Amino acid sequence: MKNSENDYRLEMTGISKSFGVVSVLKDVNLKVKPGEIHALLGENGAGKSTLIKILSGVHHKDTGTVRLNGQEINPKNTHEGQVLGISVVYQELSLVNDLSVAENVYLHKLGASKFWMNWDKITRDAQELLDSLGFTIDASAKVRDLSIVQKQVVEIAKALSEDTKVLVLDEPTTVFDPTDTKKLFDNLFRLKEKGISIIYISHHLDEIIKIADSVTVLRDGVDTGSMPISETDTDGIIRLMIGRDLKDLFPARNVEIGTEPVFQVKNLTARDTIVHDVSFCVRPGEVLGIAGLGGSGRTETAKLIFGADKKKSGTLILDGKEIKTKSPVDAAAFQIGFVSEDRKEEGVFLPLSIRRNISVTSFKSISGKLGFINVENEYKKVLGLIEKLNIKTPSSEVNVKNLSGGNQQKVALAKWLSIDSKVIFIDEPTRGVDVGAKIEIYNLINEVAKKGVGVVVISSDMPEIMGISDRILVMHQGTIYGELQKDQFTEENILRYSIGKRLKQQTQTI
Amino acid sequence: MALTLKEQLSSPGGILKFLVKYNTVFIFILLVIFSALISDVFFTSANITNLLKQVSGIGIISIGMLIVILTGGIDLSVGSLVALLAVTFAILVNLVVLPLAILLTIVIGFSLGSISGYLVAYQKMAPFVATLALMTIARGLGFIYSKGSPVTFKTAGGVFMSDFANNSTLGVPNIAIVFFLIVIAAMVMLRYNVFGRLIIAIGSNEEASRLSGIKVNKYKFLVYAISGALAATAAIIVASRTNLGSPNMGMSWELDAIAAVVIGGASLNGGRGTAINTLMGVLILGLISNILNLLNVPSYPQQVVKGAIIIFAVLLQRFESK
Ligand SMILES: Nc1ncnc2c1ncn2[C@@H]1O[C@H](COP(=O)(O)OP(=O)(O)OP(=O)(O)O)[C@@H](O)[C@H]1O
Ligand SMILES: [Mg+2]
Repeated sequence: MKNSENDYRLEMTGISKSFGVVSVLKDVNLKVKPGEIHALLGENGAGKSTLIKILSGVHHKDTGTVRLNGQEINPKNTHEGQVLGISVVYQELSLVNDLSVAENVYLHKLGASKFWMNWDKITRDAQELLDSLGFTIDASAKVRDLSIVQKQVVEIAKALSEDTKVLVLDEPTTVFDPTDTKKLFDNLFRLKEKGISIIYISHHLDEIIKIADSVTVLRDGVDTGSMPISETDTDGIIRLMIGRDLKDLFPARNVEIGTEPVFQVKNLTARDTIVHDVSFCVRPGEVLGIAGLGGSGRTETAKLIFGADKKKSGTLILDGKEIKTKSPVDAAAFQIGFVSEDRKEEGVFLPLSIRRNISVTSFKSISGKLGFINVENEYKKVLGLIEKLNIKTPSSEVNVKNLSGGNQQKVALAKWLSIDSKVIFIDEPTRGVDVGAKIEIYNLINEVAKKGVGVVVISSDMPEIMGISDRILVMHQGTIYGELQKDQFTEENILRYSIGKRLKQQTQTI
Repeated sequence: MALTLKEQLSSPGGILKFLVKYNTVFIFILLVIFSALISDVFFTSANITNLLKQVSGIGIISIGMLIVILTGGIDLSVGSLVALLAVTFAILVNLVVLPLAILLTIVIGFSLGSISGYLVAYQKMAPFVATLALMTIARGLGFIYSKGSPVTFKTAGGVFMSDFANNSTLGVPNIAIVFFLIVIAAMVMLRYNVFGRLIIAIGSNEEASRLSGIKVNKYKFLVYAISGALAATAAIIVASRTNLGSPNMGMSWELDAIAAVVIGGASLNGGRGTAINTLMGVLILGLISNILNLLNVPSYPQQVVKGAIIIFAVLLQRFESK
């Protein structure tokens, strides 16, 4: 064996892969050293997840070779991949809801283990592992009862075992707020010191700059090269990803914001969640941001208004009239829209085509009097949205489950943004979406606002929420802790309110 | 986190939540009390023995149904398998020594179940379709092999079995003991055994299980095979009770088994359900028939009541999952 080969822990060379006639990866190379954090970047649908799934044994490559420590490997299934020391946190949440946290953490070992369960041991071990990651999760709890953030932590814990040689994280932080992300990074640095190779996929380029040692960029299934992170910056990476410069991530808006609120919430308190005494209003044409840490009650507030959770007290006023939303059906009848953050589970129909997914919410606008669908209108509408959002797909008839993660997000969003609403709540609009598509989504949000809709955007992405909002509410422990006007938008101000502190100037005046 | 009984009861609305959580047990207890009040024959040992004997066969296949349902599947073939295997056992008992006859019947049951298992796990056939096909095939074969009429036990082995099936040990019918042992085995397996945990994992999220490196197909295959073996066990029991194997046995038992599992709170989507609750489901169904028989209610109204109870039990579970 040559010395140069020994430098790398993992070498994937000349990898190609097609699904049917669609060629997804073409002659891709990826080389990772021990103790290196290697960022794998690219637009939605560029082939990142597919490359990873070839490495772990989910998919099988058409051509190319994969070497681990200089030895050629060919995992036939994920079990073989794991035995070789390849652990993956997949982009899709892949936990088993009906088992305990501990069982999920050791699920892969369960498959290979002895006959009897050693409950005490696996619960103890899992608890130790979770504690060492710095998150508080009860290892004996059922996964069903965890929050989405906790689920993601379990997912990460699951991938960490003593014999991990290559750890792959496919967009691990999409559900995390900045403090969670920081904890994850601390853990990654620790693993890196132990000599574990880490492949890190993310659309948060600022994260990449912070933690990665080197990057490989994929564009349309072709790798546009690898380089040490020191030789590039976000602009350089974006250029490699989309082949051009990106000027304004946040498009300028010239929208007339109305004076009378279209929608008002007064002293809203939930029956079952921490949300209490929430009051705010949205004006027509306004984009109102809601910031806050995970668990501060942002999503729960939206769900409460939408009628998905039960209210205890409070009033909702739409167009000056008091309304009651006992269920999502009521809310939809009042033209209140809600795009869930958990779009994979709540937002799309995976086995149906893109067309059917999009048209399901807009039957009204595409069907005639008797409820027959005007196919021509349907196609026009669907194809228009596919183009506008740059959904990467061979046709509108492809099943959503065969789209890349980011493109699934776009379908979910397209579905909801295409219906007429008076107020719309969008929870994490660009989770898992690449930079280019983000702009398209921001444009779409602006277009919706322009029609006089009150748009409420919940986001953990600081630059995003500051870039698109006209006003930001910050939630803390279930209620709105502070409000920021455009000239007060800074990360520091948002963070201070998020953790329950006053703004700096205000501490002096009060 | 797991709460102690006391904490559960003292939390707000605790008693109600507790009742709802263990609803199958409570329905069962209520039915027992109701039956005891309404009929003075109910609590006689003859009646209880009779009741236990009656539910044992269906009970055993219900456990097989439970593990299939836990993986998100369904097994419609078990009723017909009972018929075919009862005939098979009756023929075998007249041909070979008893232990071999028992063993062969169970092996044949396992193999027949494997056919469904193979079609579902490896040919990706819908469980409903694969087992529906096996259901008609098995019923047909039962009639072919028995030439349409019951096969009676003729040997000493047959006599031994029929004694066994009709007698009790310490006041509990032997066949009920077999059933209870199977329930206990299933309880232990679903809680402490890796196989049990993995079938729950598969039923809860098949894709995630696959991504975790679990051999999903192998386990899906096995649950149908085990269901077949349990159908064989049930067949041996019912044949022995009546001293013969008939192709008319086990008529629509698959539906009763599904009903028992569902009353026991299992989700037909997989991932949820326990052996003890399935036992309750079996006993509840048995109790209903028993008390209605004691009250001389004819069989058609009985079916209506059964159906109503199923709806009621499932509605209660709805309430729980909210
Ligand atoms: N099972 C499949 N069958 C058919 N096409 C598929 C399948 N899986 C992925 N694809 C296609 O392969 C392409 C690459 O998908 P992949 O998931 O690797 O993208 P990605 O780079 O991870 O994108 P994202 O950032 O959105 O997660 C996409 O165009 C997708 O539609
Ligand atoms: Mg992906």
